[in-house]
Amino acid sequence: MAKPRYWSVTEGPLVLPAVLLFTAVYLYPLSRLVAWSFFTPGFSIRHYRALFAEPAYVTAFVNTFDLSVSVTVMTFLLGYPVAYLMTTISPRARAIVLACVLVPFWTSILVRTFAWMVLLGRNGLVNHALAALGLVTTPVALIHNRIGVQIGMVHVLLPLMILPLYSVMVRIDPAWLRAARSLGARPRQVFLHVFLPLSLPGIGAGGALVFLSSIGFFVTPALLGGPRQITIAMLIDLMINDLLNWGFGAALALVLLVVITVFFVVFQRALRLDRVWGGAV
Amino acid sequence: MVRRREVLKVIGTTTAAVALGPFFHARPARADKGELVVVTWGGSLVKAQRKAYFEGFEKETGIKIKDDTPPTPAKLKAMVESGNVTWDVIETDLAAILTMRKDNLLEPIDYRKLDTRALDSIYPATRLPDAIGSKIYSFNIVYNTKALAPGKHPRTWGDMWDGKKFAGGRTMNFGGGVTPQLEIALLADGVPKDKLYPLDVARAYASMAKLRPLVNKWYGSHAEAIQLVTSGESAIACTVGPRGIAAKREGAPIDVEFNEGKLAADHWCIVKGSRNREAGHAFISYAIDAKRQAAMSQEVPYGPSNKKAIEFLKPAEARELPSSPENEKMQWWWQAAWWGEIGSDGKTNRERETEKFARWMVTG
Amino acid sequence: MSRIALWAVAGAVLGFLLLPLVIIVPTSFSASAYMEFPPRGFSLQWYRNYFTSRAWIEPTLLSIRVAVVTMILSTVVGTLAAFGLVRGRFRGRRVLEFFLLSPMIVPVIVFAIGCYFLFARVKLIDTPAALYLSHSIVATPLVVIIVGSALRTFDRTVEQAARSLGAGYARALWHVTIPLLRPAILSAAAFAFLTSFDEVVLSVFLGGPAATTLPKRMWDNVRHEIDPTITAVASILIAASIVVLATGEVLRRAAERSRTPAS
Repeated sequence: MAKPRYWSVTEGPLVLPAVLLFTAVYLYPLSRLVAWSFFTPGFSIRHYRALFAEPAYVTAFVNTFDLSVSVTVMTFLLGYPVAYLMTTISPRARAIVLACVLVPFWTSILVRTFAWMVLLGRNGLVNHALAALGLVTTPVALIHNRIGVQIGMVHVLLPLMILPLYSVMVRIDPAWLRAARSLGARPRQVFLHVFLPLSLPGIGAGGALVFLSSIGFFVTPALLGGPRQITIAMLIDLMINDLLNWGFGAALALVLLVVITVFFVVFQRALRLDRVWGGAV
Repeated sequence: MVRRREVLKVIGTTTAAVALGPFFHARPARADKGELVVVTWGGSLVKAQRKAYFEGFEKETGIKIKDDTPPTPAKLKAMVESGNVTWDVIETDLAAILTMRKDNLLEPIDYRKLDTRALDSIYPATRLPDAIGSKIYSFNIVYNTKALAPGKHPRTWGDMWDGKKFAGGRTMNFGGGVTPQLEIALLADGVPKDKLYPLDVARAYASMAKLRPLVNKWYGSHAEAIQLVTSGESAIACTVGPRGIAAKREGAPIDVEFNEGKLAADHWCIVKGSRNREAGHAFISYAIDAKRQAAMSQEVPYGPSNKKAIEFLKPAEARELPSSPENEKMQWWWQAAWWGEIGSDGKTNRERETEKFARWMVTG
Repeated sequence: MSRIALWAVAGAVLGFLLLPLVIIVPTSFSASAYMEFPPRGFSLQWYRNYFTSRAWIEPTLLSIRVAVVTMILSTVVGTLAAFGLVRGRFRGRRVLEFFLLSPMIVPVIVFAIGCYFLFARVKLIDTPAALYLSHSIVATPLVVIIVGSALRTFDRTVEQAARSLGAGYARALWHVTIPLLRPAILSAAAFAFLTSFDEVVLSVFLGGPAATTLPKRMWDNVRHEIDPTITAVASILIAASIVVLATGEVLRRAAERSRTPAS
């Protein structure tokens, strides 16, 4: 295929600065840890065998996945309406909505997590409100369990869903929607068959951001969760920080990376997401 | 083609400038002489240490003390193994020292360089080849006084295990390893405090399983435990007693029962490869002095590692310290020997049991 | 009707986002020495604590500096990489993309240990430079994802039109493509800034007495006791962010007004 002359600029090399930075400051330092996971000091897969021999590590992987997937779905369900609303209102109203999304984001995760402890505790504001409304008679356990971690994580990660969604939605050409309407589509149909598919790249980006961020979450599950919410990141921290078992910690991290990679490839293939965000194939 | 090369060149130089720019910042001067980096647990603790030790030491020797926190074993190991030692003296507990010792991260203490008069009254058990006692802490029953009135409060670990006699959630530590949870589980199960070691691990876990349904939070840090009890989220905590006392003095609805508590010491250690070993020893020598330790105990309710320090305190000040004569009698001393034993797997008992505890927590 | 439902749902979500502020802001004025709600008494001691202490102000300034450099570095590098990944035609693009996203999955503590050895060798431990570089690794994946998704839906015909009208590649990029990608690039930059601004593990490992960031200072503060100083810090940052957002909005409107002649 003959390309027009102005395509002679190939943009592939633009990845080079990132590749250079990542090779020096990320790949090179990590290679040392990968080596530690295999050499103890002679070559050995002892760490990996220990890892798969214990059901506890598998359980921690499952906990991590359970939290990440459920939090991703929740942020999507809560974030989509907000992003959509932002595309349909005046610039002034949009600035206010945007401020509401961004202002809590400035509060450190640590402080927010403590705030949730105060809000959701047995003697917390939410339990008092529920009791005042007559909905409950004894305090409900809202923290130190799954729902507590989910509330805390969704709160932290919502902006990561809303902003990419908005930045894609805002560029959806209204002409498409007008065309659909003029062809007799009802609002619900316009939304389901035109707007939603066009916003898929935003969903892909937001979903990827939220899912990948929640894998490594540490502070929120540690403070708001119970034993069932012990994530793999928490165990890695225990191995590395407290027990100085760096080889095993690195092995856990490497397995995590491989598992997520496989999950992503399968997920993309299954949902044909490659067409929306896996590249212009 | 020319254009493309130009574009890439501009992008390249911009990136290089942004990436390399930071390197042209002046590096902070770190004098090898005249400065000592002391790493402790921070917060109100380091404030008290500055007042009781650092300021006087700086004045007396002219050596500036820079404090840093936290003394995490992982950072220490990275420092020592990379040969980039920026810490000189650290304060940490014996459990962490066991791990650091195994990885050869500490210098031996040269006792000839320490104040011999002060040394004589330092708890003998805290005079170790690579560490020397800095203060005494304890693990106690810490309870919410609104939920459990003092006088009708839990007095033994057996009470903490008894959900019928004492209502309310319990909180115990998940972070920081598995000691003293195993010892306390054995005490709750009826093992006398002088027959704890060697630990009957199986019995300890059987006892822990009985406590588990009562625990509404396995906490990660001791500050968190105090917050849980203060807010009434949990009625009873097994946590560091002196922190409970400190919160009580701030007006929190909280109190501490010293009976059956674990007594242990924090230690001063000198980091392997420290460039200021002389100054480090001088500092430690300064900080084991009885009078200065008494001043420290007036700031924060930890016990002095120098037994004579109690003499410089008023009875009222000494009463709430973990190592006051009355409180010491009610408690038991933590023994590191068993925890430091290395098994056939090359792991210390502490390492093996901490891993097992984490697995018990996840799957139990 | 559906409009009302949309406002109700979105309003509830925004309420949820703002809910912790209901605790954070009042607690910061509390007279009590620990976090409790409702706060007892009124006091400005936690603000005084913050504003009169170099131990708080210096970390704040350093954090801002580190976050700004991280934002610039990772937005530039990440945006370029997104262009290369989306528009480039080379083998292994997928693998490379995953490589650039993988810092989000690798637990920070693992990365921090590895980085320590690298920076120890080049004598960068306890300097801001160590934080710029390491924070950029953590922030760049966010930029790659956000800008990449916007680029994938980018209508290249606009750019082609500019080129066919005689604009060079760089000119078309600067005057057509970049402005159209602005919402994505701006949100990517915001996330990069905030990722750095709230990062604690790398700051503990690679920082030190000479390079202490605000989050590290906050963790140091709560490790021993949880007093309301951190809520005062949070309230100050919230106030600052509102001022920044409001100023930006005012400037944007002023610029718009000056562009469109008054009629």
